[in-house]
Amino acid sequence: MRGIQAGDADALSQLYDRYNGILKALILRVIHSEAEADDLLQEIFMEIWNQASAQKGKPLGWMVTLARRRAIDGLRKKQAYARAEERLQNETEQQPDAWVHNATEDEIVLSDTRVLIRKVISGLPPAQQQAIDLAFFRGMSQREIAAKTNTPLGTVKTRLELGLKKIYDGLKDLKDEL
Amino acid sequence: MNFEQFQNQSRLYVIGALEPEELDEFEKARKKFGKKADDFIGKCYALHEAFALSLRPAKSSDAIKERLMAMVKAKKQS
Repeated sequence: MRGIQAGDADALSQLYDRYNGILKALILRVIHSEAEADDLLQEIFMEIWNQASAQKGKPLGWMVTLARRRAIDGLRKKQAYARAEERLQNETEQQPDAWVHNATEDEIVLSDTRVLIRKVISGLPPAQQQAIDLAFFRGMSQREIAAKTNTPLGTVKTRLELGLKKIYDGLKDLKDEL
Repeated sequence: MNFEQFQNQSRLYVIGALEPEELDEFEKARKKFGKKADDFIGKCYALHEAFALSLRPAKSSDAIKERLMAMVKAKKQS
């Protein structure tokens, strides 16, 4: 990141090689369109290049937050919500736990960190996973989640609070293990 | 709001899931708890990283990187 802040294009190239797969997966999870995800990925890395000088915290955390915000904004601006919703619905029907099981363990080689994070998330009850999935990857409010899942608002809030706390606590344990 | 409740709200806040009517009370509590509150909110952003890392990395086309680097080069020259 220091290289990018100093205007070194090679540093951006290295950053891209290291993180493009993670950011693309996140964008794709939000907008469900390969072509739009590629375009957005390019815009996000350009934004990283332009804004790196003001960045002070952890690079990955900053990039993920930026990518998520841009992806959700993009989804809303392009009014692709309904189309993506339909695609998401289809995918969810094919894979009930699409978030945590979007690939089998045998299909991919995961880092220790990824395996442990997925273990934490997959340990949540499905209703909590769904609420967090809709909030984080779809940018839905509690009310929107309640309406979509036909669940009382208070229940949605409880699911989000409990699920996020378990993941947060799981991450603390994970840091101890790594 | 006690600090445990604030912690619960903070985790919702960082993923943008607080409802508008909850935000006022959250901001009041944030001021009340001061640095401790800001530090905790900062830690909650680790959730963003975790959710991103929970996904299988996706392949992007080589053309994207080429276009990006060309744009950067052009910007540096301008």
